[in-house]
Amino acid sequence: MQLTFESMNNKDFPIPHNELERLAALKRYNIIDTLPENAFDDATKLVSYICGVPIAHISFIDEDRQWFKSEIGIGLTEVPREISFCQYTIMDTKMLEIPDTHLNDTFKDDDNVTGGFKVRFYAGVPLTTPDGYNIGTLCAIDHVTKELNDDQRNALSIVAKHVVNQLELRTKNIELAKQKKIAERAVFAKDSFLANMSHEIRTPLNAIIGFTDLLAQTTMDNVQRDYIESVQVAGENLLIIINDILDLSKIESGNLTIDAQSFNLKKTLKHIYNLLKVKASKDIEVNLFLDADMPDVVIGDQGRLNQILVNLVGNSIKFTQEGEVTVSVKKVGETDDDYSLKFSVKDTGIGIQKDKLKTIFDRFTQAEESTTRTFGGTGLGLNIVKQLVELHKSEIHVKSEVNRGSEFFFVLTYKKAPPAVNAVKTVSKNSLGQLKILLCEDNILNQKLVKSVMKNFGFELDIADNGEAGIEFLSKNNYDLVLMDLQMPVKDGYQTTEYIRNEMNSTIPIIAMTAHSLVGEQERCFNVGMDAYVPKPFKQAALLGAIKTVMSKDPKPLQKRKLDLSFLDEMSCGDPDFKMEMITLFVEKIPNETAQLQDAFNHNDTETVMRVAHNMRSSLDIFMLHDLTNCLSVIEEEARLGQFTSETVNKIEILHCGIIEVIKTLKEL
Amino acid sequence: MNIVLAEDNDILRRSLSFFLESKGFVVKQFSDGKDALEAIKTNTFDLILTDINMPGVSGMEITQYVRQTIGSPIPIIIFTSSGVEQTELDCFDIGANEFIAKPVSPAVLLVRINKLLNKRS
Repeated sequence: MQLTFESMNNKDFPIPHNELERLAALKRYNIIDTLPENAFDDATKLVSYICGVPIAHISFIDEDRQWFKSEIGIGLTEVPREISFCQYTIMDTKMLEIPDTHLNDTFKDDDNVTGGFKVRFYAGVPLTTPDGYNIGTLCAIDHVTKELNDDQRNALSIVAKHVVNQLELRTKNIELAKQKKIAERAVFAKDSFLANMSHEIRTPLNAIIGFTDLLAQTTMDNVQRDYIESVQVAGENLLIIINDILDLSKIESGNLTIDAQSFNLKKTLKHIYNLLKVKASKDIEVNLFLDADMPDVVIGDQGRLNQILVNLVGNSIKFTQEGEVTVSVKKVGETDDDYSLKFSVKDTGIGIQKDKLKTIFDRFTQAEESTTRTFGGTGLGLNIVKQLVELHKSEIHVKSEVNRGSEFFFVLTYKKAPPAVNAVKTVSKNSLGQLKILLCEDNILNQKLVKSVMKNFGFELDIADNGEAGIEFLSKNNYDLVLMDLQMPVKDGYQTTEYIRNEMNSTIPIIAMTAHSLVGEQERCFNVGMDAYVPKPFKQAALLGAIKTVMSKDPKPLQKRKLDLSFLDEMSCGDPDFKMEMITLFVEKIPNETAQLQDAFNHNDTETVMRVAHNMRSSLDIFMLHDLTNCLSVIEEEARLGQFTSETVNKIEILHCGIIEVIKTLKEL
Repeated sequence: MNIVLAEDNDILRRSLSFFLESKGFVVKQFSDGKDALEAIKTNTFDLILTDINMPGVSGMEITQYVRQTIGSPIPIIIFTSSGVEQTELDCFDIGANEFIAKPVSPAVLLVRINKLLNKRS
């Protein structure tokens, strides 16, 4: 749009012909009314040094004012556009230099020449954007006459260019930060999508695998048995794929951690050996070589070691037609605190070409394009193995020769276990006797499945369709145990457990059964007061194990949080009325704030989360709820970073439960 | 002795002020930094106790105003739950006399208040 000088000039100052576009360009930089920044202040100082003047500034001119981003010797943040010298400077692309204002017709009667700043010398360079708009000026001003030399003029133009570059950089940085935030949100969304998907897939898969197991226990002819076994294998393979994808997403989001529990290494290795030996064809000999002075028990992550070896050995078996697959473990180092063990999986299989050795650990890559078709698999296995080994702070290596075989090896360091390891108490099934169990579960297939399994175990089962109904059952009948699904209509598993623990004051054992695989969910279950956790699809043995564990536990008295009111006592100087007043205030205020926090979190409103969490910390400090204050610190910090993670979800849940407990205890005082 | 107490958390503010009043101080409490600053401008106090994060005007800004604009040497104690060392440095930099990390221990607070007031008298 080309506007003429006259049509725009309804105010009495000169207006560039491209004023509207110029203002739009200025707006793009979002610079007006921002705080001072070093980069601009430095440039202003440079102008003052170069020209040897007492007054210098960098300013931007919008519709009606000249605003100073940085200034020396002015002491104002802005002046009306019509009294500024710079309104003329932005009319041209060249520098405007007035050696003596008293000799200049335009300026000699100007208020800032005769009075005001007593401007005698003025030099202004327009700040021109890359697309050609003069959005502001860089100026040198003096009270005496002056003439710049060519070097000084040149330097001014260069500084002006740098200021514009700085503006560009600043805008790009802001844009980058915005994009980074979007990207982080996307990762978070991806993680929850994967977790939710896996839940959706696992629920029906649970029913498929469970019922197939039950069906396999009935009498049938050989053909039927063959079919059923195929279904079982397919179901389990499907589960492996889903678990692989989930593991990857957990590793990616940094939510997968390496456990440090003591476990029997030799037994674990023998178990893996027995498991995989069965899978190998008759033409393959599977060997397990253990170093004689290898430790029995170490501290580390049994499950992950299992996963690494099962993956590697499984691969070796898959790619070996005949010959041997050998797993060997050797102690390669020992200190006072730990052992270093070298694990190796070696086969006499098809081998890997040299040029493929680097990419076999990449995701969705297999050595042969045709591998997927011939040998199956997701192409995720080795990538997961590599990442799991790296999570152990180690590296995996591979040696291979085509048609001769491959060897994968890595060294893991395990902490030494304390010498005495308690024998695990075993409870035989019989010792449990006839249990009366309540199942809270909304899915009809799962209800049927659990019912059949419980019948197999010889237990009696009642079924509630949701948490509310479960509470109803619990208040009418006596049960030994509750099996609790987490996602249910009306009242979910968490809410129901909270109610059972806090309102009914019951210590009945509760086992969570869930197809969720959300990170931290297990912790959340324990936090609301559940006793055990069985992931779906559940194995009958795992469920029975969990039941045995919770039934053999000494019935623990309901653990009530001990409130430490010594700080409040100190504050109230022994005045019981004031103390009560503060307690009442806490009881009235904190549950609302917790709800507000939760709500803001749900709406991804980081500002409010940050503010509320910060404020709540002071209140919780007075009641010395250090664990909950720590939760708030984490929540506040994540909100400050503008990025919520599953950690936040977790802490909010812990906070929520903790506050309910505290309020309840305070009300009883 | 007259003390200004600026803190936006109700429970903490009322507790601290109850505690200090029990110890014989006269406490004027504010939940908003702006109101606190207005009161400081128009009245004479012996000591200022302020949180950093508050609606309206922050504790830093109050301190800055008292030192730079009013030019008063009145003792100022800043408390905050920020665990950042820089915050503490900044507080002293702009002229605070004491910096106490939350949770504020009443006994410690009392000792510091008395120390600052004795030094002046």
